[in-house]
Amino acid sequence: MSLALNIPVIETERLRLRSHREDDLDMIADFFADDRSAFVGGPKDRAESWRVISGALGHWALRGYGMWLVADKATDAPIGGVGFLNPEGWDEAELGWHVFNGHEGKGYAYEAAAAAKSYGAEHFGIPAPISYIAPANTRSVALATRLGATYERDGEVLGNACHIYRHSKAEAA
Amino acid sequence: MMRYEIPQLETERLILREHREDDIAAEIAFYATDASQFVGGPKSPEDTWRYISMMMGHWALRGFGFWALEDKDTGTYQGRVGLWYPHGWREREIGWILMPSATGKGYATEAAQAARAHAYDVLGWETAISQIAVTNHASKAVAKRLGAVMEETYDAGDAYSEIEVWRHPIPADLVNGGMEAYA
Repeated sequence: MSLALNIPVIETERLRLRSHREDDLDMIADFFADDRSAFVGGPKDRAESWRVISGALGHWALRGYGMWLVADKATDAPIGGVGFLNPEGWDEAELGWHVFNGHEGKGYAYEAAAAAKSYGAEHFGIPAPISYIAPANTRSVALATRLGATYERDGEVLGNACHIYRHSKAEAA
Repeated sequence: MMRYEIPQLETERLILREHREDDIAAEIAFYATDASQFVGGPKSPEDTWRYISMMMGHWALRGFGFWALEDKDTGTYQGRVGLWYPHGWREREIGWILMPSATGKGYATEAAQAARAHAYDVLGWETAISQIAVTNHASKAVAKRLGAVMEETYDAGDAYSEIEVWRHPIPADLVNGGMEAYA
């Protein structure tokens, strides 16, 4: 049978949210080689990073939504990831984001996450997702707050204690 | 939109098809037990789900992957068989994993034969290996029935420990992609 991976493309002022591709591996492996990736399951080696790409695609196939690769709109170069995660063990759909090395501090994560959030409200039936955030990840706490999320409760994901933030109901774009 | 084909194959007793949510529940139950020890288990439900989703993404990236095995009579999930070549892999591989209730019936041999025929006849593979834990005697017997020969052993250095590399017969040595020559 034919399985469609219906991964929409979203464009913002500076960014393109698109499907992960195999040629994104260099940037993704570089990100996961670094301890910074501990907040999103790293560090991982190059072969494991390939499985991040295939896993992201498989999530779309199983759930109908998932993570986009965030690319520079002008060059299509990878900048990070954003989207909705709801694998086994998650309480509900999570809005998640990460920014690859060298692209922090430019507001890309906010721009991407805001676009993903309104897309999810309109097309995926996810009006008010959660975000799992490690309390030590102050950059993510700041971003969640800027997106209008507030601390809801303590939680746990994959055996790690974390804070659960709740996003306010997004207006469908 | 990315679209990928998972061709449905049929053998005498099995349908090889794409994985569905219900199959993942069976895999989660399997990976919770020591029966999964030869194939990377035990794994948590979370890791098992991610493993299956990664397998589906492998289809999108490679154009081949693991099929779910469905019993033609009962419609129940029996395990999976597939063609595997993620990044960093040794070389193209044919793999088989049966749920405990499905063993001892020749299903792995039947399904792997169909997968190998697909690899050779449709995808144009010229050779294939199967990597099997040294202590997984049931799986080694399947490799032998498929006409594969043990080529080398290496230390995988992780949960799998010692791995044997079995080499399948090349396409020219198979009659109609089948195993008549080895029956």
